[in-house]
Amino acid sequence: MTNGSRRRAVIVGVATSDYPRLPHLSEHAVHGQAADRALADAGLSFSDVDGLATAGFFPMYATGVAEYLGLHPTYMDETNFGGASFEVLVEHAAYAIEAGAAEVVLVTYGSVQLSTMGRRLGTGGGGGGGFAPGPAIYDALWGNTLVGNYALAARRHMHEYGTTSEQLAAVAVTMREHARSNPQAQERDPITVEDVVTSRLVADPLHLLDCCVISDGGAACVLTTEERAADLEKPPVYILGAAHATTHHMNMSAMPDLTVTPAAQSGPLAFARAGLGPSDVDVAQLYDSFTITVVLTVEDLGFCKKGEGGSFVEGGGLGIGGRLPTNTDGGGLSSCHPGMRGMFLIVEAVRQIRGECGPTQVPDARVAVAHGTGGMLSTGATLLLGREAP
Amino acid sequence: MTERWFPDEMPYPSASAETSGFWEAAADHRLVVQTCDDCGRTRHPPGPVCPSCRSTRAHWAELPGTGSVYTYTVVRQAFIPALSDRIPYIVVAVDLDEANGVRLVSNLVDADHSQVEIGMRVEVAWEDMGPDLSVPRFRPSTVLSVESPTRSPTQSPTVR
Repeated sequence: MTNGSRRRAVIVGVATSDYPRLPHLSEHAVHGQAADRALADAGLSFSDVDGLATAGFFPMYATGVAEYLGLHPTYMDETNFGGASFEVLVEHAAYAIEAGAAEVVLVTYGSVQLSTMGRRLGTGGGGGGGFAPGPAIYDALWGNTLVGNYALAARRHMHEYGTTSEQLAAVAVTMREHARSNPQAQERDPITVEDVVTSRLVADPLHLLDCCVISDGGAACVLTTEERAADLEKPPVYILGAAHATTHHMNMSAMPDLTVTPAAQSGPLAFARAGLGPSDVDVAQLYDSFTITVVLTVEDLGFCKKGEGGSFVEGGGLGIGGRLPTNTDGGGLSSCHPGMRGMFLIVEAVRQIRGECGPTQVPDARVAVAHGTGGMLSTGATLLLGREAP
Repeated sequence: MTERWFPDEMPYPSASAETSGFWEAAADHRLVVQTCDDCGRTRHPPGPVCPSCRSTRAHWAELPGTGSVYTYTVVRQAFIPALSDRIPYIVVAVDLDEANGVRLVSNLVDADHSQVEIGMRVEVAWEDMGPDLSVPRFRPSTVLSVESPTRSPTQSPTVR
């Protein structure tokens, strides 16, 4: 099983924290809960950890998490790639382990976005007057919102390819079906396409139910060598291929084509590195900040042609037994979205490969893709995970 | 100086080394695009280096201030509290004429949100925010053409 010629990194432990409402916990405490559980899942302890990777919104963020967790890691990474951060952190951790720079890397995420926003509602926001610095002003002046930026992409996709609101709604409906099997999911009441397209418009053409939930929550995973994993209880999950890419920073005016995301670069590269293609994937965990995010991602990862994402997701295309079973925990649209959801995608992908997903288990799932999307469709990171060594 | 289209609580531009040329031209109601001296590539937002040829030499090419709507949204929920009395408002991405592919995100003013559509012809509508500060918003084109439906040049009190 072990390849004598090189060290291979595997995922040996995963966990989510409690979610979606954690008003009693600090952000660090959410990290701690997820980390404790992921290490227990791996059958390892904090004393085994020599590497820590996490992403947050302050400089030296990982250092703060290390102090809270009582860790003194000799490998650290706090690459912030927005919602795609955690796919990149796992990719980097795999490289570090394979290079011999780390033995056991803990990747954690924690957020109390919902509770924090609750305390700020009505007093904060993106206005605030004053001068906006440098290039950021080119989008800040117009009162556009995060939803509004994704709405610009959705409207353009509809114009170019005839994608309909009903097709976008199909994504939300399938995620809600999956969430019904997840007792922790934030929204579990069944919804129909009609419910989605008649929910109020937040930013045309995106309705309320085209948008993800806002949650508290965290998740974590543990990576080590294939050799070390042989002594652990749970079967290892292999990192078959990984890649990430970016098209622009935060200004939509700098995004070359609003219907093409960085997944169009990271996806083919990750598949090439894995020696696999889209048809090899059994189950997908795709960043679903908004319904349009999923439609663009299935196209850009090569599951269908550009422009055919709408018909691909229709009619249960993303359901269990569908064309591409996706977001089997209910996704960010229904289960949990604490701001940078990428870590949840990895946890659910690993659970699928291990066969731990109960009613939403894809039978004999051997290859999973987790793809994170960050910023204003600005960043993308693809991870291909599998049961067998590459 | 005209009254602001958005309330005063909204941000206003602060020029940096890279963007000052854009805002100086804007104050004169000239819409410009940063253009590489060496290869001619246009870019926006402005930056220190040409993304194509890495040249640091650039000039500000004046544009006619017209263009076509590439995409749009109508913002109906005020995530920004200052805008709670302003919704719904239209955000457009405009493919600028004679700008070699450069697109500007802005607002469509002097238009009802049911009017906006992709491909719609628009023209710049300058909003004066101070003696030396103007920002380019857009309004439906007042020039008759095949692409642009005829619209009366309604003058908003806030935009001239």
